[in-house]
Amino acid sequence: MEYETIIGIEIHCELKTKTKMFSSGRAEFGQAPNSCASEVDLGLPGTLPCLNEHGVELALRACMGTHCEIDPLLKFDRKNYYYSDLPKGFQITQQFHPIGRNGYVEIDTENGKKKIRLNRIHMEEDTAKQFHTGSNTLIDFNRAGTPLIEIVSEPDMRCGKEAAAYVEQLKNMLYYMGVSDCKMEEGSMRCDVNVSLRPCGSDTFGTKTEIKNLNSIANVQKAIDYETMRQKELLEAGKQVDQETRRFDEATRTTVLMRKKEGNVDYKFFPEPNIFPIQLSEEWIDHIRQTLPELPEKRKEKYMNVYGLSEYDANTLTSVKELSDFYDEVVTQTDEYKLACNWCTVEMMAYLNKENIKLVNNPLSSAHLADMINMVAKGEISGKQAKTVFEEMMKGKDPRKVVEEKGMKQLSDPEAIRALVIKVLDNNPNAINDFKNGKDRAVGALIGQVMKLSRGTANPAMASQIMNEELKKR
Amino acid sequence: MRYSDCNKTLRENVMKSYELASASQEKLNAVVTFADVEKQIEETIQDETLPLYGKPVAVKDNISTKGIRTTASSRILDNYVPVFDAAVVEKLKAAGATIICKTSMDELGMGGTNLNAYTGKVNNPYDLSRISGGSSGGSAALVAAGVVPMALGTDTGDSIRKPASYCGVVGFKPTYGRISRYGVIPYASSLDHVGFFTTCVEDACVTLKCLAGRDDRDMTSSYEPVGEYDKNLNSDLNGKKIAVLDNVLSSIKDERIVNEFHQLMKKLEDRGAVIVHVTMDENLLQTLLPVYLIIANAEACANHSNLDGVRFGMREEGNDLEEIMINSRTKGFSSAVRKRFVLGSYSLFTENQEKLFRKAQKVRRVIVDSYTSILKDCDCIVAPAAATVAPHENDSVDEKMSDTYLVAENHMILGNMAGTPSLTLPYTFIDGLPVGVNVSAKAFDEQTVLNVAKAIEEETQLEGKCAEV
Repeated sequence: MEYETIIGIEIHCELKTKTKMFSSGRAEFGQAPNSCASEVDLGLPGTLPCLNEHGVELALRACMGTHCEIDPLLKFDRKNYYYSDLPKGFQITQQFHPIGRNGYVEIDTENGKKKIRLNRIHMEEDTAKQFHTGSNTLIDFNRAGTPLIEIVSEPDMRCGKEAAAYVEQLKNMLYYMGVSDCKMEEGSMRCDVNVSLRPCGSDTFGTKTEIKNLNSIANVQKAIDYETMRQKELLEAGKQVDQETRRFDEATRTTVLMRKKEGNVDYKFFPEPNIFPIQLSEEWIDHIRQTLPELPEKRKEKYMNVYGLSEYDANTLTSVKELSDFYDEVVTQTDEYKLACNWCTVEMMAYLNKENIKLVNNPLSSAHLADMINMVAKGEISGKQAKTVFEEMMKGKDPRKVVEEKGMKQLSDPEAIRALVIKVLDNNPNAINDFKNGKDRAVGALIGQVMKLSRGTANPAMASQIMNEELKKR
Repeated sequence: MRYSDCNKTLRENVMKSYELASASQEKLNAVVTFADVEKQIEETIQDETLPLYGKPVAVKDNISTKGIRTTASSRILDNYVPVFDAAVVEKLKAAGATIICKTSMDELGMGGTNLNAYTGKVNNPYDLSRISGGSSGGSAALVAAGVVPMALGTDTGDSIRKPASYCGVVGFKPTYGRISRYGVIPYASSLDHVGFFTTCVEDACVTLKCLAGRDDRDMTSSYEPVGEYDKNLNSDLNGKKIAVLDNVLSSIKDERIVNEFHQLMKKLEDRGAVIVHVTMDENLLQTLLPVYLIIANAEACANHSNLDGVRFGMREEGNDLEEIMINSRTKGFSSAVRKRFVLGSYSLFTENQEKLFRKAQKVRRVIVDSYTSILKDCDCIVAPAAATVAPHENDSVDEKMSDTYLVAENHMILGNMAGTPSLTLPYTFIDGLPVGVNVSAKAFDEQTVLNVAKAIEEETQLEGKCAEV
């Protein structure tokens, strides 16, 4: 029997705020344990929640980026359970009235675009982080109270690849919008994947398993592929799939049972009495909508339609927000869009990779790069010279100074070039014969000699033109 | 003791109160923890112009005091010392006051007798064999005994106003949101109010001005400007419409309490007040207690989930996390509290929530609408604050009182459900024991409550009255 895989994904995403969702405690990753936990984050008696306005703004951005209907009346609820990582004994969340509903994310598949529907986006607070060491458990409350949004998809994905594309798309979008760092490896974006199988053509769902805490997009795909295979084998052997929670084991590339679901836990959700419903003003929501950071799709469109770049180039630029940001800065200072794209995506990235420098620490100034590109475009320096200038620019030097110091001004005087061309031709009678016998390649070698003779300063386009003129005369 | 009686140096005033508190402890049992008084004096802001400078005060033990043990009269918090001051404590200190002790209460505020305190019963200053009432019993008793001019309390379902009646002092719970709840160990968040006890209305005005105001740490606290309650205090009742809630009077069996109340109303009428009689739907009033208990216990069982023995407070060991939590909570709470948690949890279960908790919230809305529609047509509502004088321990089991006097004993819950300002002050003594009258008004109309209370005080001449202990 042929089976169809049904996949739904829940993503927890930490919001990029300075402070916690409901307290003034700092929300910062990588600090000394328990140094970013206020009395509220520790759930000390008598403390009260106070909603982070910026957190709401970021949640709204996420809703807007995913085409969700926004509920302008904010309401929060308590989810009650006892656990050592939950200091208050309840989590403040939005069970009954999520801030966003009925959105979608568009992904590229082999069969074209596909819409993955979102059921909801809601705000909540993160739990503390636990470290199990032998028989002891250490708790770091720095993460407790960190603002989160949970993004719940409909079961619209059909294979690991689609799921990976969905997470990738969402990750890129949230990052572009400044909603989150989306660092899966640091846990600021966490994926729980629900997988079930059903016979093709069936319209009822099979029993699903949940794979928790996938920490990379590659693992999302691997875990789903494995889980699909595991469930298929069970079904084909006439066995049933049990509803359970599993985790992905990277070493064996398999999913491993964590716990069986024994009925649903009753979280006794009820409205949070310490936060009255908050009516968001239309003006505020509009303001956020109008000042929304540009999304990668928008940029791609601009790159292709306005700057005339290829889809490949547009994709390369937008795949990393900082690269696209830098490119955008450069092209405010030059009209050489394609040239700028090449320098950014090829030379600059190669340099940064080689030197192991992150884009956020890029030493290159966009003004310098634009300046150099303009010099190349105007024929003031050759492409080859530009590479030398570039190396110096990466060390912080002004390109004009480099050109001056190295005496690099390009040779663009036609008569001077003609003199060089004639000299080369005089010295290479055989090459002229080759040319006359139809060997076009001979021209390249001759121009190469002109360049060599000019120590790389001759304008290659002019050298080529003059070479052709002189050849015809012979 | 009035603020104006604290007229010596800071040290003399504070030491006098401290000594009185120590001396009365054996008789009243009102104190849970005595503050390090030297340290408190040292930390007091030295500014004689501050409104509470040189005034020794007591603080209910569910209000966080930095560096002073705060147990909420529960065993589970027996060793808990807060690292921060509650907003009201900050305000007290900023106003120049000096804290001398933390006062006994029904465990976590759950109760109306103060019998359910980890440190035992608080005795009534007017008759030590009787109860103080609760849950703010320790604070009421200390003010009634003339130990301090003012003590903080909290009020979730009359927990300031009932002990004020039993102990013969002014007990005031202003509007929900008027005073920040930040740092107050909650009972039920939507019903909890911070308030206080004094021996006279004027001191209540001064105190309210010091404690009221917006606090960004409590999202339910109000931006409403704080009034000049003392400067605007005006006992002129001419043309004031005072509504008597007749349901309360008809459910009181002691005729002396009823007759004295009617005589008081006659006096207010003579001062120019217009006395009207109002009746609320009796069936609706009978739902007050069950609706209150469902909402309060549901919120309480979530609010106190942080008391698990893991991060602070008393820990009973166990083999794993779950066992530690179960053992700590089993031994840390009294059975009365655990019973409330069970009831609260029950009403929140998915299968029960609609027919219990959600229904209770809806009925609360109906009650509040009915109550505020009466308030709309008058300046204030008055009624006796209790059906009896302070009972003896054996007669004061909460359930027993409520069965006999369902409406009279519970009507002040209206002020918690509606969040409206509500004050109790003594109006008469029966067999040497005080009885209180309750005055309530519209939200944020604290001034009217205080003005009417002032007029009553002028009639009763009980300003500054204290018991000899």
